[in-house]
Amino acid sequence: MLPRRVIQHELLTMVDLPHLKVTLDNGLDVIVHENHECPIVAVNVWYHVGSKNERPGRTGFAHLFEHLMFEGSAHHDSGYFHPLQEAGGALNGSTNADRTNYWEVVPRDALDRALWMESDRMGYLLSALTQSKLDTQRDVVLNERRQTYENRPYGFAGIAMMAAHFPMPHPYHWPTIGIPDDIRAANLDDVRDFFAAYYHPANASLSIAGDVVAKEVIGTVAEYFGEITGGPTHDTVVAPRYQGRAGVKLRLDDQVELPRLYLSWPSPALFGAGDAELDLVADVLGGGKSSRLYRALMHDRQMATDVSVHQGSQELSGLFSVVVTAAPENTLTEVEAVVAEEIARVASDGLTEAELHRARSRLEADFAWRRQSVGGFGGISDQLNAYNVFAGTPNFFVADFDRYVGATEASLRGVVTNVLLSDTRIALSVVPRGDGDAALADSELLEIG
Amino acid sequence: MAIDRSALPPLGEPTSLEFPEIVRETLPGGVQLRTVDYRQQSLVSLILLLRSGSAADPVGREGLAGLTAALIDEGSERYSALALHEALGDVGGRLGIDVFSDATVLSITALARYTDHALKLLLDVAMAPRFEAHDFNRVRALRINRILQLRQSAGAVADRLFLRALYGQHPYGHAAIGTENELAAISLEDLHAFHATHYARTNWTVVAVGSGNGSDLRSIVEEGISRLVPSPVVTRPSHPTSPFADPLPPPNRLVFVAREGAVQSELRIGSLGVARRINGYEALTVLDMVLGGQFSSRLNLNLREAKGYTYGVRSSFEARCGRGPFVVRTAVDAEVTADAVHEVVREISDIRGLRPVTDDEVMAARSALTRGFPRSFETAGQVARAAMRLAVFELPDDEYTTFVPRIAGVDRDAVTAAAREHLDPDGLIVVVVGPPAVRASLVDLGFGEPFDTTSD
Repeated sequence: MLPRRVIQHELLTMVDLPHLKVTLDNGLDVIVHENHECPIVAVNVWYHVGSKNERPGRTGFAHLFEHLMFEGSAHHDSGYFHPLQEAGGALNGSTNADRTNYWEVVPRDALDRALWMESDRMGYLLSALTQSKLDTQRDVVLNERRQTYENRPYGFAGIAMMAAHFPMPHPYHWPTIGIPDDIRAANLDDVRDFFAAYYHPANASLSIAGDVVAKEVIGTVAEYFGEITGGPTHDTVVAPRYQGRAGVKLRLDDQVELPRLYLSWPSPALFGAGDAELDLVADVLGGGKSSRLYRALMHDRQMATDVSVHQGSQELSGLFSVVVTAAPENTLTEVEAVVAEEIARVASDGLTEAELHRARSRLEADFAWRRQSVGGFGGISDQLNAYNVFAGTPNFFVADFDRYVGATEASLRGVVTNVLLSDTRIALSVVPRGDGDAALADSELLEIG
Repeated sequence: MAIDRSALPPLGEPTSLEFPEIVRETLPGGVQLRTVDYRQQSLVSLILLLRSGSAADPVGREGLAGLTAALIDEGSERYSALALHEALGDVGGRLGIDVFSDATVLSITALARYTDHALKLLLDVAMAPRFEAHDFNRVRALRINRILQLRQSAGAVADRLFLRALYGQHPYGHAAIGTENELAAISLEDLHAFHATHYARTNWTVVAVGSGNGSDLRSIVEEGISRLVPSPVVTRPSHPTSPFADPLPPPNRLVFVAREGAVQSELRIGSLGVARRINGYEALTVLDMVLGGQFSSRLNLNLREAKGYTYGVRSSFEARCGRGPFVVRTAVDAEVTADAVHEVVREISDIRGLRPVTDDEVMAARSALTRGFPRSFETAGQVARAAMRLAVFELPDDEYTTFVPRIAGVDRDAVTAAAREHLDPDGLIVVVVGPPAVRASLVDLGFGEPFDTTSD
């Protein structure tokens, strides 16, 4: 094996992504990365709006709106999939609490078509909007909610956890998919207001990666998007003070075979101090078969059927979570004790050099993995937009990578002590219906539906 | 200058991509090697393919191929389980273990400069797993628990029952994970026997795709394999390329599982499809695109975009060595269960006669396939899996270089002929996993009285 320094240097050259960024007069950020390995181009648009910008009574709206963006615009008033699939492209979009993204990956000869269409729905969506489109997509979204949450084992756990950590009026309180009655209440006026407020160049970031010449493509983008008027800019949503139900124990009854324990702690926001350390801690505790919780729960004591650990950092705040399903004949109480013991052991005895090395290697290799594809969710173009929107600059690959290089054993122990040993933990037991005793003692029953 | 928005920009000349050359050789000991020198990639993709999957499970030991594969990363001759996963971390590697009907696929993608280390790991785990009794018992218990959990996943239940209903006791009639009772019956000796036969070097195809100059990658892999200690020569297991006999006609055409409180019904509707190597696979591919293989397909535009019944619906002819399933998968609002089944069956029927494919549909589908071709080969992993598929199905090396012209040659008549030959409305079976209340509405669909079963 090579010395770490050499490996890191090598990885650094792989993660540094040269790009060009310009901001058009209407406020649209345009970022271009040239990559001539494959004759394809990725187009990726972020609107800095998500469910955290919604108002109570209209939850789920940002996501419902995303669906309408595929149903046609003024100059192409029919579905967006057909012309782009016919061009050999793939396309999709997604919404979360913080942002909404749209992407196409097309063969290079179809770049104009992708830009034409993205600019048409950014500039001219509303005249193509109809009540019937809204009605159909509302039904589609209600089915998405049924499929993803209501008819899926443990489907409401994540939603319940966010609600408990972030009581109203925190905008992470409600789920991005929305509350069914709110989704049903959405009307055309809501769509028009939302479009005017958030869907315009000054609230968007356009990233293009692939087989293009950067200087040329910026000119083309200016032609398609330059004519669209920039709208109002918005103050950044400020995170309300944390007022979670620290220490509470909750219970959900669900159609599941085995009880599962969710433990979570409020943690640093994306790119905040300690965020990278918690990514590393999550890997040490739950990343793969050599991790501590896997060894303790799955291998040595065989108390669990699965374990996962995750630092989920978002724009306003993060949640660090440990999720374990108890094996038959084992209780969540026993599982909880082992998790607590392992976390305490990290804080008291620290980590071995080998553990830290392995966690860093895995996270560093992730940087190489993430730059294999120019497009799609998590591809190069999506990353450039994520950095531009959340870090304020697309030029953040190296800085991001350095966060992991700079983490030390002491800094990892520090976040374990400050975050995971604090009294902010919330425990949620999801148990089979009729088996309430399988939950941790004194858990409060939640009603969600 | 203002943009012309009166029409979409026309597409340019199709962007072509030349599929890279696959270099084939047979190494001493019978190992098949296929290497591809593919651009400057920082990652290398290594696959060790065994042309034996869950269809090779002995009767009464369903789940054996899957369990054997699940144990290969629990430690090998040279590495303990812990050391193995540490070594993987060191080379930035990810180990993949996938068991399909016709193949077991072990793969590592790692930082390209550690190709030799990654290869060593891959060969060692495949060749010399420890198969220790305590690991065996632990992993088997985990898989049995997984089966228990899957009982509550409506989609997984529907998938399992569809295969069972369509294939019965045929080798394709069970999922790789097996069933609770059969897994419990498997012994450590069964694993050793399966490993001795199916993991023998005569059954290996190694695929390596990566950067640099091809001779480097090739020589690294050649050397790594030739360094292996010679092993006893085991006769190559027979492959299911000479297709299995067709399964018996299903005794029940409509299978119903009541799921208390369910707000959706999971639907699987399909019939016996084709083997991957049939003549005319191109027309079938175009047919599937029009019917349900993409977002802008008839099924999805009808059930999702026109009616709002579902979040999405897809059809597929699953590629297998023998006759694979043709299946339409969706989850629909429980209230429209019977209507949704009716619409799916109608679309399958109509495309054979009442509303055959149009020229526009065929052109759009061909265009999506041929123009979209370069997108499929962006990463080393994609190219490696493509090269691997050639080995699994014994397809010619020029399969990808001739793909575009072969698809471009498919016309409307060929698609309609494929629909008439390979879609069989009278042979369709339907699986519904939904709330008890919908059962009554299924009786009049023309599939007879629903056969009631449970998720166990």
